[in-house]
Amino acid sequence: MAGRPGIIILREGTDTSQGKPQLISNINACQAVADVVKTTLGPRGMDKLIFDGRKVTISNDGATIMRLLDIAHPAAKTLVDISMSQDAEVGDGTTSVVLLAGSMLKAIKPFVEEGVHPQIIIRNVRAAAKLAVEKVKELSIPYDMNTEQGYEMLIKCASTSLNSKLISGHQDLFSPMIVEAVKALDDAGALDEIKTLVAIKRIPGGDVRSSFLVKGVAFKKTFSYAGFEQMKKKFENPKILLLNVELELKSEKENAEVRIESPEEYQSIVDAEWQVIYDKLDACVKCGANIVLSKLPIGDLATQYFADRGLFCAGRVEDGDLKRVSKATGGTVQTSTNGLYDGILGTCGKFEEKRVGDERFNVFEDCPQSLTSTMVLRGGSEQFIAESERSVHDALMVVKRCLKSKAVVAGGGAVEMEVSKYLRDYALTIEGKGQLIISAFAKSLEVVPQQLCDNAGFDATDILSALRRKHAQDDDGKWYGVDIAEGDICDTFESGVWEPSDNKCNSLAAAAEAACVILSIDETVVNPRSQDPGGAAAQQQMMQQKPMSNMMGNAMDAVNAQKGGSRSGNLGNGVSYMRGRG
Amino acid sequence: MSSMALNAAAGLSGMLKDGHQSLEGVDAATLRNITAAKELSRIVSTSLGPNGMNKLVVNHLEKITVTSDCATIVKELEIEHPAAKMLSLAATMQDDECGDGTNLTVSFAGGLLHQTEELLRSGLHTSEIIAGYKKAGQKLSEILPTLVTKSFTTVDEESLAEAIRPVLAAKQLDSDTVLAPLVAKATLATASKKPSYSSGLSVNPEQVRVTKILGGRMDQSQVIHGFVALRNVETTLTSAQDAKVTVFACGIEASGTEAKGTVLMKNADDLKGYNKSEETKMEEIIKSIADTGTKIIVSGGSISEMALHFIERYNMVCIKIPSKWELRRLCSAINASALVRLGPATPDEMGYVDEFSVEEIGARPVSIFKQTKSLKDGCKLATILLRASTTNVLQDLERAVDDGVHACRQLCKDGRLVPGAGATEMELAVQIRNYADSCPGLDQYAIRAFAKTLEFCPKVLAENAGLSATHVLAGLSAAHANGNATAGVDIEGGLDGTSDNKSGILTDNTIEDILITKESAFRLAIDAALTVLKVDQIIMSKPARARGGR
Repeated sequence: MAGRPGIIILREGTDTSQGKPQLISNINACQAVADVVKTTLGPRGMDKLIFDGRKVTISNDGATIMRLLDIAHPAAKTLVDISMSQDAEVGDGTTSVVLLAGSMLKAIKPFVEEGVHPQIIIRNVRAAAKLAVEKVKELSIPYDMNTEQGYEMLIKCASTSLNSKLISGHQDLFSPMIVEAVKALDDAGALDEIKTLVAIKRIPGGDVRSSFLVKGVAFKKTFSYAGFEQMKKKFENPKILLLNVELELKSEKENAEVRIESPEEYQSIVDAEWQVIYDKLDACVKCGANIVLSKLPIGDLATQYFADRGLFCAGRVEDGDLKRVSKATGGTVQTSTNGLYDGILGTCGKFEEKRVGDERFNVFEDCPQSLTSTMVLRGGSEQFIAESERSVHDALMVVKRCLKSKAVVAGGGAVEMEVSKYLRDYALTIEGKGQLIISAFAKSLEVVPQQLCDNAGFDATDILSALRRKHAQDDDGKWYGVDIAEGDICDTFESGVWEPSDNKCNSLAAAAEAACVILSIDETVVNPRSQDPGGAAAQQQMMQQKPMSNMMGNAMDAVNAQKGGSRSGNLGNGVSYMRGRG
Repeated sequence: MSSMALNAAAGLSGMLKDGHQSLEGVDAATLRNITAAKELSRIVSTSLGPNGMNKLVVNHLEKITVTSDCATIVKELEIEHPAAKMLSLAATMQDDECGDGTNLTVSFAGGLLHQTEELLRSGLHTSEIIAGYKKAGQKLSEILPTLVTKSFTTVDEESLAEAIRPVLAAKQLDSDTVLAPLVAKATLATASKKPSYSSGLSVNPEQVRVTKILGGRMDQSQVIHGFVALRNVETTLTSAQDAKVTVFACGIEASGTEAKGTVLMKNADDLKGYNKSEETKMEEIIKSIADTGTKIIVSGGSISEMALHFIERYNMVCIKIPSKWELRRLCSAINASALVRLGPATPDEMGYVDEFSVEEIGARPVSIFKQTKSLKDGCKLATILLRASTTNVLQDLERAVDDGVHACRQLCKDGRLVPGAGATEMELAVQIRNYADSCPGLDQYAIRAFAKTLEFCPKVLAENAGLSATHVLAGLSAAHANGNATAGVDIEGGLDGTSDNKSGILTDNTIEDILITKESAFRLAIDAALTVLKVDQIIMSKPARARGGR
């Protein structure tokens, strides 16, 4: 087949598609992906259960779902990208960014079908996105975070983020915890290190309400040897020695060999080995430490030795935990017990081994450098806590973003409605195709309030029209959004639904970028996989039998197929999909 | 094929092994080759110009590429046909040479072959066509320098940015306003003096590096004078000012012997002293490094915990850069040479950096080596930090920057510019057509066909911009015949009302292309087309590895 020149110039099994149908099918694929996540938006959003063959994940975090969905469609993968980039840049709003991109493409599809040149659409979408971002910036309300009000604002932002998550019922508990943790970092100017300095620990069991924040470091009690029971478990102002040394009786070096000439020397060698470990232990005690932590094991000999001398010790401490202790207490991790001096020791106000649920925790509090904090999450099931952790993480990032951008906008779809109105007004002032495209772009932003209503079970049409009227007519109407509690509209700024403005700017820009990437593709070429030559042939055979069953074909099918069926076209092989109550 | 194998005694097939294929003559070989080449140029021609569309290519490793950059498209397409491959090689050459103009190369070569088809059908012999094309090609390189409108003699950031904008615009529409100043800034910062060039500056594309970080928006991209590593430092200390840097290509750890050895201990004292001696040795080494005034240690390999322990104790920053390429670039950025053995560096071997810090960009820790003070004597390396929300756009931006840097290099070498937007091609077409009329032989048909091919570029530009190509071409011909040699295609005209010019013709054309790029694109395209034409027989032996499905 490939041997005949002049006809086929690409490798066998290569699949190409082009032109309008190709573009439409790419748009459909993206919409199908957006459809999957759209029901998770907002306070009344539902969760997705994803089983990847080994682990069950229940989540309504857009980035997590997109990552686990294993999307195979090349164009739809762009949506995964923007979701990830939103996660990296802002941390929250990962669902809305996918939703916005899907909605923009949906609004633009009619123009493509009518034959408007994609470049014209792209140009106008870019222009509209730029205007939208500028408008959000203009609308945003700056505030000073160091005042009492600033603190309130942060709490509200954290609450807004938590509102749409699993633990929304407990935001009164979590919001202050989160704000406190981030504020501590901000005061120390180490906001960027939020991921290493704020630890989230999951302890299954117990009630969510019994989650707590430790201003300092807490970690689960490590495996301990005999002699542990006799140790003192509570210290005031202890000195802490951090080690990366194994305190156990063992050979000094793997490839060392001892040759002795007389039996008398044998005992001296044994003594020397003991001497080596005793020297190390002695050094630890002599430097004045009360608590010894090591990344490597601390054996029973050492445990007993320290217990006898009134010291506390813990071996096999996780690397991250040890680093946090080091940051919090000001101690440095030592890889050798030689040359220990006072300067490398850390200290804290209070150390205690606490019992939480059925786990024991080592807790360091009142540290001199009060920037690290640890959040201990409790909850009924593994999945529940995992989702709580993601929610708390998102809220942490939102608060961090607030502190950085120092400006907020009202959520609940209010800002989208206002930007939409602004763009619609703007569109009327220009001539040509741009007018229609920018109007369509403006309408596509309404998807956020619309989906909020849909997910909450309200009549989206009624509420949207009320919102449109309010934004168009009343001067004070710019912050009106969906009132989730009452099923009506309200001033969401008043009711404290706040989001950092950077979040909105980023999601608008990213969604528009993704839409433009999809629109700018006029030909898709899929080369056969190279890993297994047999596979390429097999794929080709399959193609001959069922020409539409390849990757692009599936996306084409998606145009015609029913809603449920279309999804499987965009996901990897062997993904099954169930939805709804039926 | 089987019949050939049976008739083993006859002709060529008797000489060759079973399973080969042979095609000869105009119909079987030449025309087929032309069809293949045409097919390729058809694929890429919709990507020509600022309004060109992207292609989504999934390669054999399932990597997704979305681009309108022709060199990348042909690279990822896995072209199998030998004639089409010829064109793709020409594009690759052009990419290496100039960075830009790859699409022109493929489209023009494809266009030439397309014209050849008609000539062949009308009865001309291949050799006559080749002779005509050669003549036309010579004429073209004579005319081209006479079309120069502007020449760069001194280069500053603004004018350079303005000059490379058309190059960038052809890759990523709208991004040119953001990228052009960045590229100009980065290249000028690294440019070294070279009086023999027209601008007196020489640019080495190697010295401009691109680092991509997913997230954010394009306008958050920036230029950093120095080196950027996408990783965190190993130590607790994360910043340094006015720092001497010692770079090790090896790991920082106690060196083990290559041969397998066993440490033999004779008595108890040996045993006691063993570990201690290793520690002291490491401390000695680290101390000697610290004594040279080094504040930052860079390692190409692993760093043992013991070493890190002492590095911390002597208050130094330590960063690991495992890639040899990265390490080499860093060395050139800070003017250091990498040591292959552990120990203190001589002052010559040590590098120097004004500012070192770790920042978080897009949730990733990024280590930045920045030169601020030594800027006036030109820094050795500049990094363009690109931001975008999708990997596809990021990669495309990187390619655009790459092309931009190459364009800068060309501009600094030879600052001559010719009118862009299809104006040069149109003018060449007019002049070559006149030349054809003056040629007596049969080759005048070929020369005329050549001239017609030149109109291909403005035609595609107009088509891609959604204009009526026929109208635009007619208008352009008229303008050029009336002496306006710079009239080009107005890609914004008639589009969406941004320009009042509904005719799609740009009479006062300010878009300019680089002469060398154009010249090289035409030359390579003509070479490729002629090579394809010269083939009159295709012999393919049986592939060594029989693939399934055939």
